[in-house]
Amino acid sequence: MFRPLATAALALSLLSPAHAEARSLVLAIGGEPEGGFDPIMGWGHYGNPLFQSTLLRYDAELDLVGDLATDWRLSQDGRVWRIRLREDAMFSDGTPLTAKDVVFTYTAASTAGGLADLTVLKEARALDDTTVELELTEPRITFVARLATLGIVPAHSYGADYARQPIGSGPFKLVEWREGEQLVVAPNPYWHGGEIAFDRVSFVFGSEEAGQALARTGAADLVAVPPSMADAAPPDMAVLKIDTVDNRGLAFPMGPARDETTETGAPIGNDVTADRAIRVAINQALDREALVALALNGHGRPAMGPADGLPWDNPEAAIPGNDPTAAMATLEDAGWTDSDGDGLREKDGLRAAFRVLYPAGDSTRQALALGASQQLRAIGIEAQPTGSSWDEIGALMHSQVVVLGWGAHDPSEIYALHHGDYAGVDYYNTGHYANPTVDAHLEGAEAAGSFDASLAHWQAAAWDGETGFGPKGDAAWAWLVNLEHAYWASDCLDLGSLQIHPHGHGFPITHDLPSWRWTCE
Amino acid sequence: MTAWLARLVAGRLIRLAWLLPLAAVGLFALISLAPIDPVQAYVGGRTSQIGPEQRDAIASAWGLDRPASERFASWLGDLAGGDLGQSITFNAPVLQVIAARLPASMALVGLAFALSFLLGTLLGLVAGATRGRWPDRVIRTLAVVLAASPGFWVAILLVAVFAVTLGWLPACCAAPPGQLASEVTPADRWRHMVLPVATLSVVGIAPLVLHTRQSLIAFLDSPAARHLSAHGATPLRLAFGPGLRHAAGVALTLHLAGAGELFGGSVLAEAVFAWPGLGQATVRAATGADAPLLMGIGLATLLFVFAGNLLADIAARLADPRLRRIA
Repeated sequence: MFRPLATAALALSLLSPAHAEARSLVLAIGGEPEGGFDPIMGWGHYGNPLFQSTLLRYDAELDLVGDLATDWRLSQDGRVWRIRLREDAMFSDGTPLTAKDVVFTYTAASTAGGLADLTVLKEARALDDTTVELELTEPRITFVARLATLGIVPAHSYGADYARQPIGSGPFKLVEWREGEQLVVAPNPYWHGGEIAFDRVSFVFGSEEAGQALARTGAADLVAVPPSMADAAPPDMAVLKIDTVDNRGLAFPMGPARDETTETGAPIGNDVTADRAIRVAINQALDREALVALALNGHGRPAMGPADGLPWDNPEAAIPGNDPTAAMATLEDAGWTDSDGDGLREKDGLRAAFRVLYPAGDSTRQALALGASQQLRAIGIEAQPTGSSWDEIGALMHSQVVVLGWGAHDPSEIYALHHGDYAGVDYYNTGHYANPTVDAHLEGAEAAGSFDASLAHWQAAAWDGETGFGPKGDAAWAWLVNLEHAYWASDCLDLGSLQIHPHGHGFPITHDLPSWRWTCE
Repeated sequence: MTAWLARLVAGRLIRLAWLLPLAAVGLFALISLAPIDPVQAYVGGRTSQIGPEQRDAIASAWGLDRPASERFASWLGDLAGGDLGQSITFNAPVLQVIAARLPASMALVGLAFALSFLLGTLLGLVAGATRGRWPDRVIRTLAVVLAASPGFWVAILLVAVFAVTLGWLPACCAAPPGQLASEVTPADRWRHMVLPVATLSVVGIAPLVLHTRQSLIAFLDSPAARHLSAHGATPLRLAFGPGLRHAAGVALTLHLAGAGELFGGSVLAEAVFAWPGLGQATVRAATGADAPLLMGIGLATLLFVFAGNLLADIAARLADPRLRRIA
């Protein structure tokens, strides 16, 4: 009775690819960090940090799970994270990782002036060898994104040359980095996360074309390719198309034209887009499927909000598109009519016309602007596509419509795009959108007692049944498309389940690299 | 014999003394006027994760919050102490970045330089000696076509033919993927150099061919050549005998003076072939408005071109004693 089970288990264990002979893997997915592998300066933001491990990590569903942390709690007032560390974590030089290293990393990163934003951290302190407290200046639930991305460095050996000779407790150790050319890593024998199926992983850098040439000669196992090349994979490679929140949308100026300007002298406001009916009608009229076909050759999906499919997305906030009849009804009801018969609507002598700015060098945004413009002409709105430099866009983006792109694995983006405090700050809230109820929801989300509890607040900010930044509410944006990221992957490579990818094509795919398996002999 | 050399070098050093500061000011002015915000370039795709406060912290950490004149003054001060500053793009000292990438570029440029000189002079001499006949026409046509072909286009063509279609040579990179530097065989290194070097040499060859041809023809028409010819010397014999010495001076001058163009061409060739040299770093530095690195590369290139020109003048005087009198 026992025996068949045992035999089956044995057979399974023999078949299991984890036991396949270790081999080497060659990836051509770009993403070389020119500044090196120092988490304190910002390395490891997307994808796998390779050499370091983080306190928490996102799983394939973007839920938070522990990595170095075995237990993590937020205090009642939402300002102090108490984190318990696992005891078996070791750096690749064989020294144990303790609370001291975590405190060192967080303290150094908060003052380094690098690409890890820890301005909200007030103090990091070690209570004992395995317990850390991180105190924030104010409640901010999106700090978990830092817990999930900031790799821990060793306090005893961190120095000026760390970025090029990284030591960490991550799945890999650095073997060789020939800058501009290739990074070679090997499994870290001290890693706490399990077995890695490859004895060497090489990242080849260089142009996209070079990567494709390597794939065609069989020299690379995984290659990032532009959408136009996606379907031209070599015979023994499969095409991998990954959904993303790498999105593009139209950002509207929300208020009427003002007398004041921004600090840099840019005009603010637009009398046409200040009318909610215009913004709603645009959302109703746009045929996003057609835009995907036109601008992305079909390699993408319609975008209804800033974070489609992520846990903090609220699908309820969207309204159906591709409905010119409804759009025209909305405009008629609001008093936008074509009184002089030129095909363009007016209201009180104001023509329904504005510019749609896009960076002239970006062919995708250009196609989106042209396509949207064509579709809007059918409902009597003149959206003039205007290619500009980023400099000119910076001067006009507060008073004209702009094609912008976002998409992060971090809801703080939702905050920055829609909160009144970010009005006119950098590229965030270009339209000077401010709705006290939405602001309150966003602040409520940041003040939530846990990440899970914050989700409802983020969703309410998009649409709470009465108002929100989504199309059902204020329609601060008309989102257009989410890009699709394409890769060629060897038929033998099993990548497991994949996340929805963020803005940025290439390196994010390495997120679960340690669990990839080779399925051929 | 060496009086002319001392005079020449002294004159050039004086020129360098005013050229360098002038170039530094010009370069810095151009970089500060460029419509790229270095902080935004540094932040890149992470805009949503870097709040305004952190941007200020980045700007002050890299000294970007100070006015341009102040930054230039402190850069000059550091330069006096032999410090070229810190590259923001590569998060490393500028000198280290240049030192790490210069060898790869020099190997490429050096080989291409030698190859194009040999090939260009040879073809020019043959064309001159066979003036008006078919070898001359073929070589001239080739030179004109090459002169009109952009370097990156030649590179893509070579890759398409020799790497993708025929599969004889690797399409990119300086070594086979997946191997450590210690595992790469010299044969593999040479194989990877063939296409980039060919691209780079082919691009610089056209002016050399045409000028060598022209100076050889001038010699062949001279009374001295007519005299030798009357004694039975064939044009080919004249070309590779006394004609070579006549043409070599011009060819050397032209070729060494064009070293700067070769350097510029390497930026494109490195981009197409994913060659880990200085050209690649230059592109990154420019798109990131990385002032210290761009200044460092700019000044290094200036010295390189300057040295090329000086060598050209010395070589020309060695080859042709008549030039020494003019200085």
